[in-house]
Amino acid sequence: MADIAFLALTVITIGSAIAALEMRSLIYGSIALMGTLGGIAGFFLLLDAPFVALFQIAVYVGSIAVLILFTVMLVKRELIFKKIEDKRRKFAGIGLMLIVMVSLGAIFIDSGIKTITTDEPPVDFRDIGADFVIYYWPALILMGLILAGTVTGALVLARRVDVEDDQRTN
Amino acid sequence: MSVIAPNFKLSGFIQSLLDNIFWILLLVVLVGVPAIFMILFVIPLPVIDGELLTPFLAFSALVNPTRLLPIIHAFLTTDIFRVMAFPGFGFAALLAASVIFVERKMMAKIQLRVGPFYCGKVEGILQLMGDGLKLISKEIIIPAKADKPIFWAAPVLFVATAAAFVALIPVAPGWVVADIDLGLLGVFAVIGFFPIITILSAWSANSKYPFIGGIRALFQMVSFEIPLILSLLGVVMLTGTLNLSEISASQSSFPWIIFLPIGAIVFFITMLAELERIPFDLPEAESEIVAGWLTELSGMMYGLVQLGSYLKLYAFAALFVVLFLGGWNGPMIVPAFPEQIITEGIEMGPIVLTIDGLGPLLHETITQEMLNGTLWFVLKTAGVIFFIILPRGVFPRVRVDLLLNLGWTKLIGLCFINIFIALGLLYAGVLGPGGLQ
Repeated sequence: MADIAFLALTVITIGSAIAALEMRSLIYGSIALMGTLGGIAGFFLLLDAPFVALFQIAVYVGSIAVLILFTVMLVKRELIFKKIEDKRRKFAGIGLMLIVMVSLGAIFIDSGIKTITTDEPPVDFRDIGADFVIYYWPALILMGLILAGTVTGALVLARRVDVEDDQRTN
Repeated sequence: MSVIAPNFKLSGFIQSLLDNIFWILLLVVLVGVPAIFMILFVIPLPVIDGELLTPFLAFSALVNPTRLLPIIHAFLTTDIFRVMAFPGFGFAALLAASVIFVERKMMAKIQLRVGPFYCGKVEGILQLMGDGLKLISKEIIIPAKADKPIFWAAPVLFVATAAAFVALIPVAPGWVVADIDLGLLGVFAVIGFFPIITILSAWSANSKYPFIGGIRALFQMVSFEIPLILSLLGVVMLTGTLNLSEISASQSSFPWIIFLPIGAIVFFITMLAELERIPFDLPEAESEIVAGWLTELSGMMYGLVQLGSYLKLYAFAALFVVLFLGGWNGPMIVPAFPEQIITEGIEMGPIVLTIDGLGPLLHETITQEMLNGTLWFVLKTAGVIFFIILPRGVFPRVRVDLLLNLGWTKLIGLCFINIFIALGLLYAGVLGPGGLQ
């Protein structure tokens, strides 16, 4: 059962990833991207990590994909992109991808992944939370500071002086 | 005098009816019954009381309550019943449909109108059925340059997402379709799909008004999702779980709205915005952009979107009840089923009527607690829905910039205050381990 689900998810993820790159229509491309992200959420579910899976759906499918869709809808494609049909670049890209995938796969197989026992109980997300607070707190605080700095920077950059209008009162 | 059908003949009508009956009978006998028997070879049939439930047994059991009750009992415990009927789609759709009628009638009373009146003898009670029949029989018109696949799929996806939301809501102890440990996260994940479907449907219609409405809906939903999620963190901190059934059960002595009123208020406001209801109904502002993102939908596609949005309304109200108002908890007001009927039967003069399968059915599945919990849950949900539809008769629509300002600054600030209140209660020892519970 898990094997069938794994195969189906693999087909969905890789197929929609290729579709996301190759579709002529940008809207359909971003829908296919949603399929890819959802397929990755399915992998997390198979790996007994429902916490990560649901966050993957809530954040990536629910927010990032919406952002992409929104941008695509508001922008006229013809104004930005020039269509370049180049067979050699395409094949070079496919070859590069194959080389990267094969080398990554070789590293994975070489890393002793076959000897891992898979019948262990799933990790409780409460343990992960406790680990975060106890052992990884410097990293958490650092991340928090970086995020806060980013948000402040974004707010400063996005700030503009509002034009005063007497007829609009808040 | 105008007549609807000038060439109407009663004999012709009866003949067409008889024709239909003849063809239906012929098709059932030649195709239907063999198909059923072929399917029955493949389906594993349930075993009830040590007996395989064949179709013949099922038909004979129909006339004998003693044999029928175990079958009903077995059916009530199946997943398909949960998904389709009781805590799932059927129950929610029934409540949602009644909300549509109550809303129309209530708006009319608030605005000193009559409201639905003629359809059905009593106060227009069949108006909803009439509307449904109208929507089903209307032609579905697809705009000329619409993106057909997305345009067709969007209403169905909308209902499906709303039904997925409904599936996560616990109605009574143990009565929930999907009892997952991360139920609240599941709710957040499902809510995230609504803006996508809305904007896709709006874009695919290839028309100005839907697109403007869709972009407004997207703005509104995405910006109010953040205070929505933040306002629920207080409850999660106090209960220490994300499972909605456990959150509901944790409020057996007091509901969380007593300790977290700010979170409840913020959640209620964000709920109004997510549901696109007045005062936040900018995506469907009928006086500015026709019907917003629903403009090009016609016939049953519009009906599906309406069904989906009212299912969503029920689900949000139910979520409010589960998180803040104590879910199914409440004083026991449903009377116990008389035990004498189960053990000894009903005495009617010289005859004693005993019903065998009644005991297990009433002790295991339809218990007193389940009925009481469902009653309290429905009462509380109806109350919350009343307060959701009440602003429609009272408030005007707010402006877009005020709406976004409210969502991004005021509500998020209030959410953090709520979280600090929850943390304070937790660390002061009022709630949590060693506290009131």
